[in-house]
Amino acid sequence: MIKTNTFNKLLSLGGAAAFATIFMVGCVSDVKKEGDGGEEPKSEVDSSGTKLMSIGGSMFSIPSPIQTAILIEKSGSDYNKGFLNEAKKVTTYATNYQKALNLGVYGADVGYVTIYDQSQDALKYLGVINKLSDELGITGAFDENTIKRFENNFGKRDSMLNLVAVAYRNADAFLKDNDRLNVGALVLAGGWIETLYFSTQIAAKDGNQDVINRIGEQKYTLNNIVKMLTPYYNQPEYDVLVDELIELAYDFDAIDIQYTYEKPEVDIANRTTKINSATKVVITPEHLQAIADRVEKIRNQIVGQ
Amino acid sequence: MRTKTLKIFVASLILGLAYVGSASAQCDSIAKICSENVTADYISDGQSYRALLNGDQVAEFKATFYGGSTYRIAGCSGFTDGNLIFEIYDEDHNQLFASSDYKNTAYWDFDFGSTVDCTIEAKLNTVNVKSGCATMVIGFKQ
Repeated sequence: MIKTNTFNKLLSLGGAAAFATIFMVGCVSDVKKEGDGGEEPKSEVDSSGTKLMSIGGSMFSIPSPIQTAILIEKSGSDYNKGFLNEAKKVTTYATNYQKALNLGVYGADVGYVTIYDQSQDALKYLGVINKLSDELGITGAFDENTIKRFENNFGKRDSMLNLVAVAYRNADAFLKDNDRLNVGALVLAGGWIETLYFSTQIAAKDGNQDVINRIGEQKYTLNNIVKMLTPYYNQPEYDVLVDELIELAYDFDAIDIQYTYEKPEVDIANRTTKINSATKVVITPEHLQAIADRVEKIRNQIVGQ
Repeated sequence: MRTKTLKIFVASLILGLAYVGSASAQCDSIAKICSENVTADYISDGQSYRALLNGDQVAEFKATFYGGSTYRIAGCSGFTDGNLIFEIYDEDHNQLFASSDYKNTAYWDFDFGSTVDCTIEAKLNTVNVKSGCATMVIGFKQ
């Protein structure tokens, strides 16, 4: 049975559309007719064969864990292996739910170790990623060839990161093509939670303002992750995660995000638009600590600590 | 009579599965071509965005773009440029970009000075195509 807190939050996130998805497991259309107005949900049975992560007419893009790991490295934070999920734990994940979440967790970990030029650790993590993706039946994304290409690019950080990112993109495409959106959603959620875990641990230790702001900005993404996982609320194990994320969303509600629109500038010759709009994050140390505590709890449940 | 009905059912099922399979294969091929617009100096965001569109249907993507990053966003449908129109809006629905202002360009770069929560809307250029797979590819550099 859906918790009252969860129910209330879902209504606030997406109104009836988000709530309705709890009862609607299956393929829904991600498209709307041009000119559709208002907030009325437009979930339709998809007759086109399209398989997409879609709630109330939208798909979700979850920012790459690599971006926040780069920010962490730029903040001057030292490499800390203690933040990572141990590779040897891979054998303890028995269900597809655990495997998918930890495929995301290890993806964030491999990004972190690669950014800090820890190539041998990265290879170890690629090995467990390969194992988990095999067990999940994901083909054509992570294989011996990916690992070999990764090794051949040692020392070229961006190339190594891109190889991993493209492998995850191929896995995402495979899961969407094969109507396994729930698995894809868990992979994205696992990666996001692991990165938020690094960030909160580092913010608590170093107090770096850029990292703190990045944590606050996760308010947007958290809402998208909750909407993305909500259709699977009635499946075993998902409800616990969604309930925890809803509690985290309540913690994030205390963060004030002020957005100001400014007209963009266009450089046609370089095919570039400069976005001048600004977002200001206001977060108190108490709220940051509450978020850090909750994230640590969720993350440790996922990795099994 | 029952045998004939069964044959029609099986044939329909095979055709249906073939359509879904070919749609996926079509999306894969278009995504591969589209990803060539996101050059090696950009790191993939690790996700695949695709939708089968008919006529004036619009695919909507929610995305957060981080400040201090440059993003390359590529949008494609079919095997030639200009078949997909994409537009980017901020959280207040101010339009930040429309590919139709630039001859339906297949890709564009965006420098985000600050983090912005956006919606990307993608639709077919119905002058060129009436239906098909719309794919988007996002890369970043910091």
